[in-house]
Amino acid sequence: MSLTAEEARLLKAISVPNSDAAKIVRNLDWIVVVVLLFAVTAAFHIHFMLTAGDWDFWVDWKDRMYWVTLTPMILIIIPAALSYPLMAKFGLPISGTLCGLCLMIGEWISRISGFHLWAYFPYSMIWPAIVIPGLMLMDLFYMMFRNVFLTTIFGGASVALAFAPANWPILAPYHIPVVHMNQLVNVADMIGYSFTRTATPEYLRFIERGTLRTFGGESTLISTFFSAFVCMILFYMWWRIGQFLSNLGTIPNQLKTMVGLEADKDEA
Amino acid sequence: MKHNKMARLYVKLVMMLVLFSVAGHALAHGERNQEPFLRMKTLHWYDIKWSVANEATVQVNDEVTMTGKVHFFTRWPDQINKPTTVFLANATPGPVFVRVGTWLNDIPMIQSTGVELGRVYDFKVILKARVPGRHHVHPMFNVESAGGLVGPGIWITIAGDWEDFVYSIETRTGVQIENLGSYGVENVVKWHVFWVAVAVFWLVWWIRRPLLVNRFLLVKNNAWSELITKTDLMVGALLIVFIITVLIVANKYTKEEYPRTVPLQGGKVEVNYVPNPEEGQVLIKNHTAEYYLPGRTVTIDLSVTNNSDKAVTLGEFTSANLRFINQDSEEAMSRVDVGYPDELIANKGLVISKPSPILPGETRRMQVEATDVAWETERLSSLLNDPDSSYGALLFFYDDEGSRYTAEVYGQILPTFFDK
Repeated sequence: MSLTAEEARLLKAISVPNSDAAKIVRNLDWIVVVVLLFAVTAAFHIHFMLTAGDWDFWVDWKDRMYWVTLTPMILIIIPAALSYPLMAKFGLPISGTLCGLCLMIGEWISRISGFHLWAYFPYSMIWPAIVIPGLMLMDLFYMMFRNVFLTTIFGGASVALAFAPANWPILAPYHIPVVHMNQLVNVADMIGYSFTRTATPEYLRFIERGTLRTFGGESTLISTFFSAFVCMILFYMWWRIGQFLSNLGTIPNQLKTMVGLEADKDEA
Repeated sequence: MKHNKMARLYVKLVMMLVLFSVAGHALAHGERNQEPFLRMKTLHWYDIKWSVANEATVQVNDEVTMTGKVHFFTRWPDQINKPTTVFLANATPGPVFVRVGTWLNDIPMIQSTGVELGRVYDFKVILKARVPGRHHVHPMFNVESAGGLVGPGIWITIAGDWEDFVYSIETRTGVQIENLGSYGVENVVKWHVFWVAVAVFWLVWWIRRPLLVNRFLLVKNNAWSELITKTDLMVGALLIVFIITVLIVANKYTKEEYPRTVPLQGGKVEVNYVPNPEEGQVLIKNHTAEYYLPGRTVTIDLSVTNNSDKAVTLGEFTSANLRFINQDSEEAMSRVDVGYPDELIANKGLVISKPSPILPGETRRMQVEATDVAWETERLSSLLNDPDSSYGALLFFYDDEGSRYTAEVYGQILPTFFDK
């Protein structure tokens, strides 16, 4: 696709440094950046709260099976969908990084104000998972390949493959064994037991209750690779959805004719 | 027209402010809002003792102990799961108290367990005061699919400063954790800041250049070499290497620092039932039960069969944490502790039609009357709205030597809406 004469003129005008045209489009950039920051924070945070939910809220839900398997699958949905318009329409390989950063902002606001100051939970119990490295790798692979199939394989998988390694340095101290009341638990279990969640008893935890039966009990590894496989599919699926929605255009309002108004012209 | 709109808006605003001004604080747990069947036909708590009195003040870091017995009702409601998975807990406004220890029949209850219906279990809960304020503190069982079922509660005020709270433990590997609430947080923050910095770098890398209009037109012009330059690719490649290297090195270092870790423990504890000599000696048959709404009286016509070898007297009727005591029974009266929540003990007590001791082997038909405004204030009268209008309760009998005999009573309950 090539530029029309008007578009070429516009590009030439805004490409002149410090010109009025350049300043105007730059101001527009800043407005959009701020709006995008709020919008992505709100959308991605609510999506993640509703789907990853307790697995991300509590230290004693961060297990080797469900947390490691499900979180990347949930994480990849919005960044994959957003990667199409950002990359294909603007050449910006930043959707994963933007979503990851916005999620972190939203999570920490929620943990500090809602969980700690409002509901008294200690920070050791409520820290959010690190999601940035995997999502950044997705962006970087997309930029390197500029090919959706290779990005699906490497970028999609990297969201899951980087998740457990990114979080183990902060989670490991909470998996040190403790003996409390002659019972073996780890520090995370102990925190979950001690700091009362009135309506979330121990049995509600969706955690690994029995070791997976292959690879010598290496649950994290198995969960990670399974998640990576699903993430590949999800990346492609949501990238396609992003593509479809980005190219949707507008749909004529059929209802207008029913109330005696003039029909919309089809802009699609 | 405009004035009308403004007037309506003004009225709405005033009404909203009035509502805000009259709304009180919700300090307890909505236990009165639980359906009567959940409170009358699931758990019956008794012999509950707190290490401090109702309305006591404790300091941050002080411990409070709750002990007592809990009876799992035989006629457990069909609409909720049987208590095959339960968790002994405390009902407090979140972690204002820290749970130090919980035991059921002396078995530690860090994990969940299953219990048998019709049995009585001894429980103990030790809490440690953490967040200052006036809190309602109950023992509680979380029952899978039924939710939290709370026992009687008392008010405890925690004084002091939240910042002074400390909860130390020692790990199996010999690490002394000074404060469980802040353990590891510095490390968490450090890693979060690190990755946020990396992400910010990558975003700034792109945002520093013209973004939308320029790039949209360049994409349309297929000028990808201007959109993503060789420098971008080089920085991107370096970042890939950097991120993967950081992940590998960080994990290697973590493995060296924490060589001994265990996964989250999700096993289930087995709590064996301890035979209770109080059970099964006295049997009850419910003939009829009526709830007289204007007088807030439950009258039960029942037959008592005494299979023990001692004469027994009915001393107490308890259901949904409400206690109706036979005030003529010294033994029953002596079991009411000073400081037990007043609102849970009926003033008028229990009126029995034939109060004399029931002899061994005797079956006696009698009427029992439990009258108190608490039927209303505890919102138990709403049992008449249930599709299954029935009640459940526990009766306590005492012999001359002070031994106690417990028996369940269950049946349909008929409403009487006005004086006949």
